[in-house]
Amino acid sequence: MRIPTLELEAQLIERTVERRNRIISEAEERARRIIQAAERECERIRAESERQVLNIISSELRAIRDRIVGRAIIEGRKMVMLAREEMISKVRTEVERRLLEIAQGKTGEIDYEAVLIRLIEEAASAMGGEEFIIAANKKDLEYLRSHIGSVEGTLQPSLGKVKLELENEPIDVMGGVIVRNRDGTKIYNNTLEGRLRKIWSKMEAEVAKRLGLI
Amino acid sequence: MERVLTLSERLQRILDEAEKAAELKIEEARRRAEEMITRAKEEAENRRIRAERGDGIEDLTRAEEEKAKLEAARILEEYRAKAEDLRRVPEERFREAVELILREVIPR
Repeated sequence: MRIPTLELEAQLIERTVERRNRIISEAEERARRIIQAAERECERIRAESERQVLNIISSELRAIRDRIVGRAIIEGRKMVMLAREEMISKVRTEVERRLLEIAQGKTGEIDYEAVLIRLIEEAASAMGGEEFIIAANKKDLEYLRSHIGSVEGTLQPSLGKVKLELENEPIDVMGGVIVRNRDGTKIYNNTLEGRLRKIWSKMEAEVAKRLGLI
Repeated sequence: MERVLTLSERLQRILDEAEKAAELKIEEARRRAEEMITRAKEEAENRRIRAERGDGIEDLTRAEEEKAKLEAARILEEYRAKAEDLRRVPEERFREAVELILREVIPR
């Protein structure tokens, strides 16, 4: 079968155009891949550069971090410490309130007068001797003044015969006594405040433990 | 037949031109790639030199600052939560601590 010349030409042109297009598109594809590879290489160079720079300034960056984070840690620890102190202080305030109630005889569970005698006994026993001068608040002084004989009698089994004298002026305390010997060489502070202070300093950590703070 | 041959020459020329254009495109891409890489290397080198002098590192220090600030906020939040936890002492424990001290202060 004979192919007419025009048709042959048309086929030739068509094939050539296709080939030309393929040459161009293959070249474009190669060019795109070259640029892509270059972009990847640039990225690698930049990353490597950043790594080197980070190495160079690492101590400076660490100092920045330490300054900011360190400040937060100090502030945070302070917050926790304040919360602990707040809770411990609440216990102390409650203890003081309860002690005042006890000293004022407002609670039925504790016989404060017996406590007062026990405080005198403890002080006198620690000091030794037979004569003691007692200072107390107004209410306690009044009680002791009107019961001095029976108080001395109560103390006799444990201390032997003792003579108690009372100060004229009351002292400003919640309760308890300050006991001294006649020449003032020995003084024993057995006020509720004094006892609380002493015991608190010994037991504050235990209080924190009981509260679950440490 | 002579006409086809002439045509064939013209078509070959088209293909030759296409090859040339393709080569140019690839050549141009190679040139651009080279430029890109050279520029990246120069920039990297400059940045390294400046970093050694302490210059041009503001972006990194600023980024570190931002990162540290976030970490600081997280740390503070943890401590704040811990402080709040500590404030939630059960009533029973609180009473127990008060009684512990009272027992020591009040001689019985």
